[in-house]
Amino acid sequence: MKKLFKSKPRTPVDLVRQTRDLLVFADRGGPDTKESKRNEKMMELSKLIRDLKVILYGDSDSEPVPEACSQLTQEFFRENTLRLLILCVPKLNLESRKDATQVVANLQRQQVQSRLIACDYLEKNLDLMDILIAGYENADLGLHYGTMLRECIRHQTVARYVLESERMKKFFGYIQLPNFDVASDAAATFKELLTRHKSTVAEFLLKNYDWFFAEYNKKLLESDNYITKRQALKLLGDILHDRSNLDVMARYVSSEENLKIIMAILRNSAKSIQIAAFHVFKLFAGNPNKPPRIANIFDRNREKLLRFFADFKPDKEDEQFEADKSQVVREIVALECINRPSIQP
Amino acid sequence: MAQEEKKEDYPRKATCSNGQYPLDSNCYKILDEIGRGVSAIVYKAICIPMDSSVVAIKVIDLDKSRADFDNVRCEAKTMTLLCHPNILKAHCCFTVESHLWVVMPFMSGGSLQSILASSFPNGLSEPCIATVLKEILSALSYLHRQGLLHRDVKAGNILIDSNGLVKLADFGVSASIYESNSSCGWVGSSSSLSLMLTDFAGTPYWMAPEVIHSHTGYGFKADIWSFGITALELAHGRPPLSDLPLSKSLIMKITKRFRFSDHYEKTKDSKNKKFSKSFKDLVALCLDQDPSKRPSAEKLLKHSFFKNCKGPDFLVKNLLQGLPAVEQRFKRADIQRLVSLEKTDDNDDKEEDDSSSGENVRHRRISGWNFNEEGFQLDPIFPSDHKNKDGDSDRVTKQVRSTGETIVQEKGNERSFEGSSFSPRQNEVSDENEAASRGGGSNESHGGCSSYESGGVNTGVVFESLLFLKKSLDYQRQQVGQMIALIRGEEAAETNREDQLMEMIEKLRMELENEKKKRFDVEMELEFLKMRLSNE
Repeated sequence: MKKLFKSKPRTPVDLVRQTRDLLVFADRGGPDTKESKRNEKMMELSKLIRDLKVILYGDSDSEPVPEACSQLTQEFFRENTLRLLILCVPKLNLESRKDATQVVANLQRQQVQSRLIACDYLEKNLDLMDILIAGYENADLGLHYGTMLRECIRHQTVARYVLESERMKKFFGYIQLPNFDVASDAAATFKELLTRHKSTVAEFLLKNYDWFFAEYNKKLLESDNYITKRQALKLLGDILHDRSNLDVMARYVSSEENLKIIMAILRNSAKSIQIAAFHVFKLFAGNPNKPPRIANIFDRNREKLLRFFADFKPDKEDEQFEADKSQVVREIVALECINRPSIQP
Repeated sequence: MAQEEKKEDYPRKATCSNGQYPLDSNCYKILDEIGRGVSAIVYKAICIPMDSSVVAIKVIDLDKSRADFDNVRCEAKTMTLLCHPNILKAHCCFTVESHLWVVMPFMSGGSLQSILASSFPNGLSEPCIATVLKEILSALSYLHRQGLLHRDVKAGNILIDSNGLVKLADFGVSASIYESNSSCGWVGSSSSLSLMLTDFAGTPYWMAPEVIHSHTGYGFKADIWSFGITALELAHGRPPLSDLPLSKSLIMKITKRFRFSDHYEKTKDSKNKKFSKSFKDLVALCLDQDPSKRPSAEKLLKHSFFKNCKGPDFLVKNLLQGLPAVEQRFKRADIQRLVSLEKTDDNDDKEEDDSSSGENVRHRRISGWNFNEEGFQLDPIFPSDHKNKDGDSDRVTKQVRSTGETIVQEKGNERSFEGSSFSPRQNEVSDENEAASRGGGSNESHGGCSSYESGGVNTGVVFESLLFLKKSLDYQRQQVGQMIALIRGEEAAETNREDQLMEMIEKLRMELENEKKKRFDVEMELEFLKMRLSNE
């Protein structure tokens, strides 16, 4: 590999240009080109993409050179190379797909004159996100496009676009695909979208509260799929416990419907699911302004809950959990005093 | 170069898509258990709609994984996206209730570790070793080019099929150099190839020194070290230092005061096995203390040791013939495993059980180790040359401190020294526990399990042996205490203080626990009183 480099000293800019030319060729499909000629060109393209990767990441002998990375990035985004590369992924072989994914990922972090020019480019080409998201519908592309997508949503504006696009609804299906590797990749992206950019997420959740949580409850929390349910509970807990989502949390824990769902999950047979549900349940219990209907549920189930919590503990000792649990028990007991002030004569 | 080109062609020709195998557990029929780890079991099974072709299915218990499933996700992804003739790939993976099923090709020969255990207790012949190792180097070279570390190279993770094809398996702990803050991934978090990881993974015997001293970070060269240890393992039938329990081998390395059970002398005497110069040279290169001096996998492929490698047929003839089926080996190893668990802390038993050693084992503190090219073993570095000339039957144990010259001698129960050569700590038992479970072929939360490794851990038995271990450790502790009192050396006092502190911490923790409980009770009472008050 190194020898090859020395015999043809090409600048990063040259490499990007040659890559672009070949991508244009690959994208066109060229039905009139001979098979052998075509294979040759695809081989050449694979090599170029690998060379780009070596410049960006270095190899076992050399660290990447910032100047070369910067030139490469600048040339890459000067024209439509990223779009071409994304579109051509299905035409590449497995190794080149992986290389292309690493190149695209790395470019998202490259600064040119202290600007992330990848972000500037993507803001003008947001439809590329739609292509990447749709990758989850194809088992062969899902992992490559998925990784690229997660790197692109590091940019806040891009993440906002995805959150607010129609495609967001599709994730509820993607994370339950039968193919575990693709499904879990989609779940990782979904989580990234809903946790990375705090202010954008809070804004999105408030604006889309109704449909989002209706879907979340129905499709994820009430799913029969163990892994969907467990991941969804964990993520819900993370979202609601995040300070930036305080308003969303207040709204969530005021809903009688939500409480019923979480209480039903507390009875799940899998311990890890129960524990995850508890982390959401404690928010309902800790709400200082419980609406009467919520207080009513607590009141009616007081004994059952207290009995349940008496035996409820994780397999491993967990101080935080014990502290939370006694807090919840206290809340439940305290409710009694407020609700029934006049039992005694 | 030509070689590399050939390998790069492979993925294009092979069918790397995994669309063919059904994602439905009803399509598979499980036949036999062939491997087991802490949170995963490997089965031999048939895929009914695929002409009942035989597959291996690794069933991972997700209820034992962390909720983000990052490790499991990465393992699945790695196994789907890697495509190389010497790497075990997943056909597909899907969930069945709280379990993940990873469907893989069935490797009928099982792991090299189980082959060693069952047919070659004294190691393989050099042509076999060369043939196997070359395939593994191809796999490592491919992985490293992808920016991936395997991190658990050992004979237990090298599988062979009925055609003699060798594959590297188990990506439960593999990691990507490109994403150093998470355990895996394909994509860089920094623009540079930092080549450093800092978390702790792998199986102790095979771990490189820089992995154990993990604060310094480690890279591809850690796999090369493990590769070197694997070479020794194939040559001798077991990894160096393996007659010590796992955790001890690990702790020894961590403290850098290596104790050494000199079985290299035994092997020299009893087997007198001759190894070629090129083999010795290869292993010496891999086991250089300085990672930067170890050659890359790519370079090692050109080593003279691999000049006359044979093909897969050679392995079929020389390794697989007369070998019991993998499921039978698993069952047998399962029983052996239980026995070996009992003897982890007890060398007296070991002498009877271990077929390859009929002598007493002497232990000495050493200050480091060197690869001894001549004897083809890892040699201890003694701080000063205390030749132990006492006969084996004499049951005299010597300890040589790495820093000082304190020599402790005691006649009598040898066992009391087993644990006393390093300061016994309270967490000893849990260390052992973890190590034992790793020995079972798996890695804590990773849900990983060396697919065909002949380790099976039965919780009941583990518990029993741990209890036993604890008792014996307590006993040893007492003995050490007495010895320390005898010596009253400076270091000894220090150990003593450490022990006292540990006890104190434990006591304080208990008190804190009690206080917490009391506080909770009082608060409950307070609530109750408040309630009564408000009612009145």
